[in-house]
Amino acid sequence: MGVPYVPIFGLVGTDLLKKRDDMVIAADPFDSSKKSVVAKALRPDVAIFHAQVADRQGNVSCGYEVEAVMLAEASAHVIVTAERIVDRLTEKEATGAFIPSIHVDSVAHAPFGAHPAGLQGMYAPDKIHMRDYVIASRDDAAFAEYLQTHVHGVTDHADYVERFVPLEWKRPSKAVGN
Amino acid sequence: MEAAVEGRGQLMDYNEAELMAILLSREVRDNEISACGALSHIPAAGLLLAKELHARNAELIILNSVFNPFKTSRQFHFLAQRGELGLFFVSGVQIDRLGNYNLHQLGPDIDKPQARFPGGYGGGMIYYCARRTVVFRTEHTRRSLVEKVDYISAAGSSPPDMIRLGGPSKVVTPKVNFRFDKDASVLRLDTIHAPWTLDDIQANTGFDVGNGPAVVTPAPTPDELNTLRQVVRRKMIATGTYAAWAEKTLATS
Repeated sequence: MGVPYVPIFGLVGTDLLKKRDDMVIAADPFDSSKKSVVAKALRPDVAIFHAQVADRQGNVSCGYEVEAVMLAEASAHVIVTAERIVDRLTEKEATGAFIPSIHVDSVAHAPFGAHPAGLQGMYAPDKIHMRDYVIASRDDAAFAEYLQTHVHGVTDHADYVERFVPLEWKRPSKAVGN
Repeated sequence: MEAAVEGRGQLMDYNEAELMAILLSREVRDNEISACGALSHIPAAGLLLAKELHARNAELIILNSVFNPFKTSRQFHFLAQRGELGLFFVSGVQIDRLGNYNLHQLGPDIDKPQARFPGGYGGGMIYYCARRTVVFRTEHTRRSLVEKVDYISAAGSSPPDMIRLGGPSKVVTPKVNFRFDKDASVLRLDTIHAPWTLDDIQANTGFDVGNGPAVVTPAPTPDELNTLRQVVRRKMIATGTYAAWAEKTLATS
Protein backbone atom coordinates (compact mmCIF):
# COMPACT_ATOMS: atom_id res chain seq x y z
CA MET A 1 0.00 0.00 0.00
CA GLY A 2 2.87 2.35 0.75
CA VAL A 3 0.94 4.33 3.36
CA PRO A 4 2.72 5.26 6.60
CA TYR A 5 0.19 3.66 8.99
CA VAL A 6 -3.16 1.89 9.06
CA PRO A 7 -5.96 1.74 11.63
CA ILE A 8 -6.52 -1.76 13.02
CA PHE A 9 -9.32 -3.21 15.11
CA GLY A 10 -8.91 -4.84 18.48
CA LEU A 11 -5.81 -5.22 20.64
CA VAL A 12 -6.95 -2.49 23.06
CA GLY A 13 -6.38 -3.64 26.63
CA THR A 14 -4.14 -6.57 25.69
CA ASP A 15 -0.63 -7.30 26.91
CA LEU A 16 0.39 -7.69 23.29
CA LEU A 17 -0.24 -4.00 22.64
CA LYS A 18 1.93 -3.02 25.64
CA LYS A 19 4.92 -4.66 23.97
CA ARG A 20 4.51 -2.94 20.63
CA ASP A 21 5.95 0.54 20.20
CA ASP A 22 4.87 0.45 16.53
CA MET A 23 1.19 0.41 17.53
CA VAL A 24 -0.55 3.26 19.34
CA ILE A 25 -4.11 4.32 20.11
CA ALA A 26 -5.20 7.27 17.99
CA ALA A 27 -8.37 9.26 17.32
CA ASP A 28 -10.42 8.60 14.20
CA PRO A 29 -9.58 11.64 12.00
CA PHE A 30 -13.16 11.70 10.70
CA ASP A 31 -14.84 11.33 14.11
CA SER A 32 -12.71 12.48 17.03
CA SER A 33 -15.05 10.83 19.53
CA LYS A 34 -13.84 7.42 18.32
CA LYS A 35 -10.45 5.78 18.72
CA SER A 36 -8.65 2.71 17.47
CA VAL A 37 -5.19 1.23 17.39
CA VAL A 38 -3.01 2.54 14.58
CA ALA A 39 -0.12 0.41 13.34
CA LYS A 40 3.00 1.86 11.77
CA ALA A 41 3.80 0.43 8.35
CA LEU A 42 6.34 -2.37 8.23
CA ARG A 43 9.10 -1.71 5.69
CA PRO A 44 11.41 -4.74 5.84
CA ASP A 45 14.91 -4.45 4.36
CA VAL A 46 14.75 -7.98 3.04
CA ALA A 47 11.95 -10.53 2.63
CA ILE A 48 12.72 -14.19 2.05
CA PHE A 49 9.95 -16.70 1.34
CA HIS A 50 9.16 -19.89 -0.50
CA ALA A 51 6.72 -20.01 -3.44
CA GLN A 52 5.04 -22.64 -5.56
CA VAL A 53 6.44 -21.54 -8.91
CA ALA A 54 8.66 -18.81 -10.37
CA ASP A 55 9.88 -18.09 -13.87
CA ARG A 56 13.22 -17.07 -15.34
CA GLN A 57 12.22 -13.41 -15.44
CA GLY A 58 11.62 -13.46 -11.68
CA ASN A 59 7.83 -13.51 -11.75
CA VAL A 60 6.45 -15.48 -8.81
CA SER A 61 3.18 -17.30 -8.18
CA CYS A 62 2.39 -18.28 -4.61
CA GLY A 63 -1.00 -19.92 -4.77
CA TYR A 64 -3.42 -18.16 -2.46
CA GLU A 65 -0.74 -16.62 -0.23
CA VAL A 66 -1.71 -13.01 -0.82
CA GLU A 67 0.20 -12.03 2.33
CA ALA A 68 3.39 -12.89 0.42
CA VAL A 69 2.45 -10.35 -2.24
CA MET A 70 2.13 -7.59 0.37
CA LEU A 71 5.41 -8.72 1.93
CA ALA A 72 7.18 -8.47 -1.43
CA GLU A 73 5.66 -5.06 -2.15
CA ALA A 74 6.67 -3.69 1.26
CA SER A 75 10.26 -4.94 1.30
CA ALA A 76 13.30 -3.22 -0.18
CA HIS A 77 14.76 -6.54 -1.30
CA VAL A 78 13.03 -9.83 -2.05
CA ILE A 79 14.62 -13.27 -2.24
CA VAL A 80 12.36 -16.12 -3.32
CA THR A 81 12.92 -19.84 -3.26
CA ALA A 82 10.57 -21.79 -5.50
CA GLU A 83 9.37 -25.33 -5.70
CA ARG A 84 9.48 -25.17 -9.47
CA ILE A 85 11.13 -22.85 -12.01
CA VAL A 86 9.58 -22.46 -15.44
CA ASP A 87 10.59 -20.45 -18.50
CA ARG A 88 7.55 -18.23 -18.34
CA LEU A 89 4.53 -18.29 -16.01
CA THR A 90 1.34 -19.05 -17.89
CA GLU A 91 -1.59 -16.62 -17.81
CA LYS A 92 -3.34 -19.00 -15.43
CA GLU A 93 -0.35 -19.14 -13.09
CA ALA A 94 -0.01 -15.37 -13.14
CA THR A 95 -3.31 -14.88 -11.28
CA GLY A 96 -4.17 -14.99 -7.60
CA ALA A 97 -1.13 -14.31 -5.48
CA PHE A 98 1.10 -13.13 -8.31
CA ILE A 99 4.28 -11.14 -7.69
CA PRO A 100 5.68 -9.38 -10.77
CA SER A 101 9.42 -9.59 -11.22
CA ILE A 102 9.88 -5.85 -10.61
CA HIS A 103 9.68 -6.59 -6.85
CA VAL A 104 11.98 -9.60 -6.92
CA ASP A 105 15.77 -9.47 -6.54
CA SER A 106 16.59 -13.15 -6.87
CA VAL A 107 14.99 -16.56 -7.24
CA ALA A 108 16.50 -19.90 -6.26
CA HIS A 109 15.22 -23.35 -7.13
CA ALA A 110 14.56 -25.27 -3.91
CA PRO A 111 12.31 -28.32 -4.19
CA PHE A 112 10.66 -29.07 -0.81
CA GLY A 113 11.95 -25.69 0.28
CA ALA A 114 9.09 -25.20 2.72
CA HIS A 115 9.95 -28.37 4.66
CA PRO A 116 9.20 -29.04 7.52
CA ALA A 117 6.31 -26.60 7.00
CA GLY A 118 3.83 -27.30 4.22
CA LEU A 119 3.19 -25.62 0.90
CA GLN A 120 -0.41 -25.00 -0.12
CA GLY A 121 -1.50 -27.32 -2.89
CA MET A 122 1.81 -29.18 -2.87
CA TYR A 123 2.46 -30.88 0.46
CA ALA A 124 1.25 -30.82 4.06
CA PRO A 125 3.53 -30.03 7.02
CA ASP A 126 5.84 -32.84 8.18
CA LYS A 127 4.16 -33.48 11.50
CA ILE A 128 6.83 -35.83 12.84
CA HIS A 129 9.60 -33.35 12.09
CA MET A 130 7.53 -30.51 13.55
CA ARG A 131 6.99 -32.48 16.75
CA ASP A 132 10.74 -33.11 17.05
CA TYR A 133 11.42 -29.42 16.41
CA VAL A 134 9.01 -28.38 19.16
CA ILE A 135 10.62 -30.82 21.60
CA ALA A 136 14.10 -29.55 20.64
CA SER A 137 13.05 -25.92 21.09
CA ARG A 138 12.33 -26.45 24.79
CA ASP A 139 15.93 -25.94 25.88
CA ASP A 140 19.00 -24.24 24.45
CA ALA A 141 21.23 -27.33 24.31
CA ALA A 142 18.64 -29.42 22.48
CA PHE A 143 17.95 -26.58 20.09
CA ALA A 144 21.65 -26.07 19.37
CA GLU A 145 21.82 -29.76 18.55
CA TYR A 146 18.82 -29.42 16.24
CA LEU A 147 20.50 -26.53 14.43
CA GLN A 148 23.78 -28.43 14.19
CA THR A 149 22.03 -31.43 12.63
CA HIS A 150 19.59 -29.67 10.31
CA VAL A 151 21.22 -26.36 9.46
CA HIS A 152 24.96 -26.09 10.18
CA GLY A 153 25.67 -29.75 9.53
CA VAL A 154 24.12 -29.75 6.05
CA THR A 155 26.29 -29.15 2.99
CA ASP A 156 23.52 -27.76 0.76
CA HIS A 157 19.79 -27.92 0.10
CA ALA A 158 20.07 -31.15 -1.87
CA ASP A 159 21.81 -32.73 1.12
CA TYR A 160 19.00 -31.49 3.41
CA VAL A 161 16.31 -32.92 1.10
CA GLU A 162 18.18 -36.21 0.82
CA ARG A 163 18.50 -36.58 4.58
CA PHE A 164 15.41 -34.96 6.10
CA VAL A 165 12.51 -34.83 3.64
CA PRO A 166 10.41 -38.00 4.02
CA LEU A 167 11.10 -40.53 1.28
CA GLU A 168 7.45 -40.82 0.26
CA TRP A 169 7.33 -37.07 -0.52
CA LYS A 170 9.94 -37.57 -3.22
CA ARG A 171 8.02 -40.20 -5.14
CA PRO A 172 6.47 -38.56 -8.21
CA SER A 173 2.87 -39.44 -7.28
CA LYS A 174 3.22 -37.80 -3.88
CA ALA A 175 5.25 -34.81 -4.92
CA VAL A 176 2.28 -32.99 -6.37
CA GLY A 177 -0.96 -32.72 -4.46
CA ASN A 178 -1.34 -33.95 -0.92
CA MET B 1 -14.44 -36.88 28.64
CA GLU B 2 -15.88 -40.03 27.12
CA ALA B 3 -17.22 -41.18 30.45
CA ALA B 4 -20.74 -40.23 31.35
CA VAL B 5 -21.03 -37.27 33.67
CA GLU B 6 -21.24 -38.55 37.21
CA GLY B 7 -22.02 -36.64 40.36
CA ARG B 8 -24.15 -36.75 43.44
CA GLY B 9 -25.23 -40.28 42.70
CA GLN B 10 -26.84 -39.34 39.41
CA LEU B 11 -25.79 -40.80 36.12
CA MET B 12 -26.76 -38.82 33.06
CA ASP B 13 -26.75 -40.37 29.64
CA TYR B 14 -24.52 -37.87 27.86
CA ASN B 15 -20.89 -36.96 28.20
CA GLU B 16 -19.39 -33.52 28.86
CA ALA B 17 -18.42 -32.95 25.22
CA GLU B 18 -21.95 -33.73 24.05
CA LEU B 19 -23.39 -31.42 26.70
CA MET B 20 -21.09 -28.59 25.68
CA ALA B 21 -21.74 -29.08 21.96
CA ILE B 22 -25.47 -28.81 22.65
CA LEU B 23 -25.04 -25.72 24.86
CA LEU B 24 -22.91 -24.05 22.19
CA SER B 25 -25.43 -24.93 19.48
CA ARG B 26 -28.09 -22.99 21.40
CA GLU B 27 -26.01 -19.81 20.99
CA VAL B 28 -26.15 -20.01 17.18
CA ARG B 29 -28.81 -17.82 15.58
CA ASP B 30 -30.55 -18.44 12.30
CA ASN B 31 -29.62 -16.19 9.32
CA GLU B 32 -26.29 -15.25 10.89
CA ILE B 33 -22.71 -16.14 10.06
CA SER B 34 -21.17 -18.18 12.88
CA ALA B 35 -17.61 -19.43 13.06
CA CYS B 36 -15.09 -21.36 15.08
CA GLY B 37 -11.31 -21.50 14.81
CA ALA B 38 -8.77 -24.29 14.59
CA LEU B 39 -8.78 -27.12 17.14
CA SER B 40 -12.45 -26.52 17.89
CA HIS B 41 -14.02 -29.96 17.92
CA ILE B 42 -16.89 -29.11 20.27
CA PRO B 43 -17.92 -25.81 18.61
CA ALA B 44 -17.73 -27.50 15.21
CA ALA B 45 -20.22 -30.10 16.44
CA GLY B 46 -22.33 -27.32 18.00
CA LEU B 47 -22.43 -25.32 14.77
CA LEU B 48 -23.44 -28.35 12.71
CA LEU B 49 -26.08 -29.27 15.28
CA ALA B 50 -27.62 -25.78 15.23
CA LYS B 51 -27.82 -25.96 11.46
CA GLU B 52 -29.81 -29.21 11.73
CA LEU B 53 -32.16 -27.85 14.38
CA HIS B 54 -33.01 -24.16 14.76
CA ALA B 55 -30.58 -22.37 12.42
CA ARG B 56 -31.15 -23.92 9.03
CA ASN B 57 -30.22 -20.71 7.21
CA ALA B 58 -27.12 -20.03 9.26
CA GLU B 59 -23.81 -19.76 7.42
CA LEU B 60 -21.11 -21.79 9.13
CA ILE B 61 -17.38 -21.24 9.03
CA ILE B 62 -15.36 -24.07 10.55
CA LEU B 63 -11.71 -23.25 9.90
CA ASN B 64 -9.54 -26.08 8.58
CA SER B 65 -12.54 -28.03 7.31
CA VAL B 66 -14.72 -28.27 4.22
CA PHE B 67 -17.07 -25.85 5.99
CA ASN B 68 -14.80 -22.93 5.22
CA PRO B 69 -15.51 -20.80 2.17
CA PHE B 70 -12.16 -19.01 2.33
CA LYS B 71 -8.76 -19.69 0.82
CA THR B 72 -6.83 -17.32 3.06
CA SER B 73 -7.21 -16.25 6.67
CA ARG B 74 -7.40 -12.61 5.73
CA GLN B 75 -10.68 -13.19 3.88
CA PHE B 76 -12.10 -14.42 7.17
CA HIS B 77 -10.51 -11.60 9.18
CA PHE B 78 -11.84 -8.93 6.84
CA LEU B 79 -15.35 -10.41 7.04
CA ALA B 80 -15.13 -10.05 10.82
CA GLN B 81 -13.79 -6.48 10.52
CA ARG B 82 -16.74 -5.55 8.31
CA GLY B 83 -19.03 -6.62 11.15
CA GLU B 84 -20.51 -9.55 9.23
CA LEU B 85 -19.53 -12.22 11.75
CA GLY B 86 -22.45 -12.79 14.11
CA LEU B 87 -20.91 -15.34 16.43
CA PHE B 88 -17.43 -16.65 17.12
CA PHE B 89 -16.43 -19.53 19.39
CA VAL B 90 -13.04 -19.28 21.05
CA SER B 91 -11.28 -21.00 23.92
CA GLY B 92 -8.60 -19.78 26.29
CA VAL B 93 -6.07 -21.43 28.55
CA GLN B 94 -7.20 -18.98 31.24
CA ILE B 95 -10.40 -16.92 31.36
CA ASP B 96 -10.96 -14.27 34.00
CA ARG B 97 -13.84 -12.50 35.71
CA LEU B 98 -13.55 -9.51 33.38
CA GLY B 99 -13.97 -11.69 30.30
CA ASN B 100 -10.30 -11.45 29.33
CA TYR B 101 -8.79 -14.63 27.91
CA ASN B 102 -5.21 -15.85 27.69
CA LEU B 103 -3.86 -17.90 24.81
CA HIS B 104 -0.26 -16.73 25.11
CA GLN B 105 1.62 -17.77 28.24
CA LEU B 106 1.49 -18.70 31.93
CA GLY B 107 3.38 -17.31 34.91
CA PRO B 108 3.38 -14.14 37.01
CA ASP B 109 6.33 -12.52 35.19
CA ILE B 110 5.37 -11.56 31.66
CA ASP B 111 9.02 -11.56 30.55
CA LYS B 112 9.74 -15.02 31.98
CA PRO B 113 6.83 -17.25 30.99
CA GLN B 114 6.62 -20.70 32.61
CA ALA B 115 4.76 -22.07 29.61
CA ARG B 116 4.10 -20.62 26.20
CA PHE B 117 1.26 -21.37 23.80
CA PRO B 118 0.84 -20.73 20.10
CA GLY B 119 -0.78 -17.35 20.80
CA GLY B 120 -3.99 -15.62 20.00
CA TYR B 121 -3.94 -15.84 16.20
CA GLY B 122 -6.60 -13.34 15.07
CA GLY B 123 -8.38 -13.42 18.42
CA GLY B 124 -7.00 -10.03 19.43
CA MET B 125 -9.12 -8.61 16.61
CA ILE B 126 -12.03 -11.06 16.29
CA TYR B 127 -13.00 -10.69 19.97
CA TYR B 128 -13.64 -7.01 19.19
CA CYS B 129 -15.32 -7.48 15.81
CA ALA B 130 -17.57 -10.54 16.00
CA ARG B 131 -20.95 -9.35 17.25
CA ARG B 132 -20.93 -12.04 19.94
CA THR B 133 -18.15 -14.31 21.10
CA VAL B 134 -18.86 -17.37 23.20
CA VAL B 135 -15.78 -18.49 25.10
CA PHE B 136 -15.74 -22.20 25.87
CA ARG B 137 -13.47 -24.12 28.23
CA THR B 138 -13.57 -27.91 28.68
CA GLU B 139 -11.90 -27.63 32.08
CA HIS B 140 -13.77 -25.84 34.86
CA THR B 141 -11.15 -25.42 37.59
CA ARG B 142 -9.49 -22.70 39.62
CA ARG B 143 -6.52 -22.76 37.27
CA SER B 144 -8.57 -22.18 34.11
CA LEU B 145 -11.17 -19.73 35.51
CA VAL B 146 -9.12 -17.14 37.33
CA GLU B 147 -9.51 -13.73 38.95
CA LYS B 148 -6.99 -12.26 36.52
CA VAL B 149 -5.34 -13.93 33.54
CA ASP B 150 -1.50 -14.00 33.46
CA TYR B 151 -1.54 -12.46 29.99
CA ILE B 152 -4.39 -10.68 28.22
CA SER B 153 -4.60 -12.02 24.66
CA ALA B 154 -7.98 -10.36 24.13
CA ALA B 155 -9.83 -8.05 26.49
CA GLY B 156 -13.45 -8.56 27.56
CA SER B 157 -14.23 -4.86 27.39
CA SER B 158 -12.74 -1.63 26.09
CA PRO B 159 -13.19 2.06 26.95
CA PRO B 160 -16.43 3.39 25.42
CA ASP B 161 -14.66 5.59 22.88
CA MET B 162 -12.83 2.64 21.29
CA ILE B 163 -14.24 1.34 18.04
CA ARG B 164 -15.58 -2.06 18.99
CA LEU B 165 -18.25 -3.98 17.10
CA GLY B 166 -18.90 -6.72 19.66
CA GLY B 167 -17.53 -8.71 22.54
CA PRO B 168 -18.03 -11.68 24.82
CA SER B 169 -21.59 -12.82 25.35
CA LYS B 170 -21.13 -16.06 27.30
CA VAL B 171 -18.58 -18.43 28.77
CA VAL B 172 -19.58 -22.09 28.60
CA THR B 173 -17.90 -24.80 30.70
CA PRO B 174 -18.87 -28.39 31.57
CA LYS B 175 -20.41 -27.03 34.79
CA VAL B 176 -22.01 -23.67 34.04
CA ASN B 177 -22.87 -20.91 31.62
CA PHE B 178 -21.64 -17.48 32.56
CA ARG B 179 -23.10 -14.46 30.81
CA PHE B 180 -21.12 -11.28 30.25
CA ASP B 181 -22.68 -8.26 31.95
CA LYS B 182 -21.81 -5.47 29.52
CA ASP B 183 -22.69 -2.65 31.91
CA ALA B 184 -20.42 -3.90 34.68
CA SER B 185 -17.96 -5.60 32.29
CA VAL B 186 -17.88 -8.79 34.38
CA LEU B 187 -18.97 -12.39 34.04
CA ARG B 188 -22.08 -13.36 35.97
CA LEU B 189 -23.30 -16.83 36.71
CA ASP B 190 -26.07 -17.56 34.23
CA THR B 191 -27.14 -21.17 34.67
CA ILE B 192 -25.69 -24.25 36.36
CA HIS B 193 -25.68 -27.61 34.59
CA ALA B 194 -27.16 -30.54 36.55
CA PRO B 195 -26.04 -32.04 38.85
CA TRP B 196 -23.72 -29.28 40.05
CA THR B 197 -24.57 -26.88 42.87
CA LEU B 198 -23.55 -23.29 43.57
CA ASP B 199 -21.09 -24.60 46.20
CA ASP B 200 -19.49 -26.92 43.62
CA ILE B 201 -19.12 -24.02 41.22
CA GLN B 202 -17.59 -21.64 43.76
CA ALA B 203 -15.18 -24.36 44.93
CA ASN B 204 -13.94 -24.83 41.35
CA THR B 205 -13.87 -21.21 40.20
CA GLY B 206 -10.99 -18.80 40.82
CA PHE B 207 -13.25 -15.76 41.16
CA ASP B 208 -16.35 -14.90 43.15
CA VAL B 209 -19.36 -16.27 41.27
CA GLY B 210 -21.81 -14.44 43.56
CA ASN B 211 -24.67 -16.02 45.44
CA GLY B 212 -27.50 -15.27 43.07
CA PRO B 213 -30.31 -17.74 42.45
CA ALA B 214 -28.91 -20.90 40.92
CA VAL B 215 -30.94 -21.43 37.76
CA VAL B 216 -30.56 -24.90 36.29
CA THR B 217 -29.45 -25.14 32.67
CA PRO B 218 -32.17 -26.75 30.54
CA ALA B 219 -30.97 -30.33 30.01
CA PRO B 220 -30.19 -31.61 26.52
CA THR B 221 -33.41 -32.68 24.85
CA PRO B 222 -33.78 -36.09 23.20
CA ASP B 223 -34.00 -34.27 19.87
CA GLU B 224 -30.71 -32.43 20.47
CA LEU B 225 -28.92 -35.56 21.67
CA ASN B 226 -30.23 -37.81 18.90
CA THR B 227 -29.45 -35.31 16.15
CA LEU B 228 -25.95 -34.78 17.55
CA ARG B 229 -25.27 -38.50 17.80
CA GLN B 230 -26.81 -39.48 14.49
CA VAL B 231 -26.83 -36.68 11.92
CA VAL B 232 -23.95 -34.51 13.16
CA ARG B 233 -21.70 -37.44 13.99
CA ARG B 234 -22.28 -38.92 10.53
CA LYS B 235 -21.69 -35.57 8.86
CA MET B 236 -18.43 -34.97 10.73
CA ILE B 237 -17.13 -38.41 9.83
CA ALA B 238 -18.21 -38.13 6.17
CA THR B 239 -16.65 -34.69 5.70
CA GLY B 240 -13.46 -35.35 7.67
CA THR B 241 -14.38 -32.66 10.19
CA TYR B 242 -12.68 -33.88 13.37
CA ALA B 243 -13.85 -37.30 12.17
CA ALA B 244 -11.88 -39.43 14.63
CA TRP B 245 -13.03 -37.27 17.54
CA ALA B 246 -16.67 -37.41 16.41
CA GLU B 247 -16.57 -41.17 15.97
CA LYS B 248 -15.12 -41.69 19.44
CA THR B 249 -16.83 -38.95 21.45
CA LEU B 250 -20.33 -38.56 20.08
CA ALA B 251 -21.87 -41.72 21.38
CA THR B 252 -24.25 -43.68 19.20
CA SER B 253 -27.36 -44.43 21.17
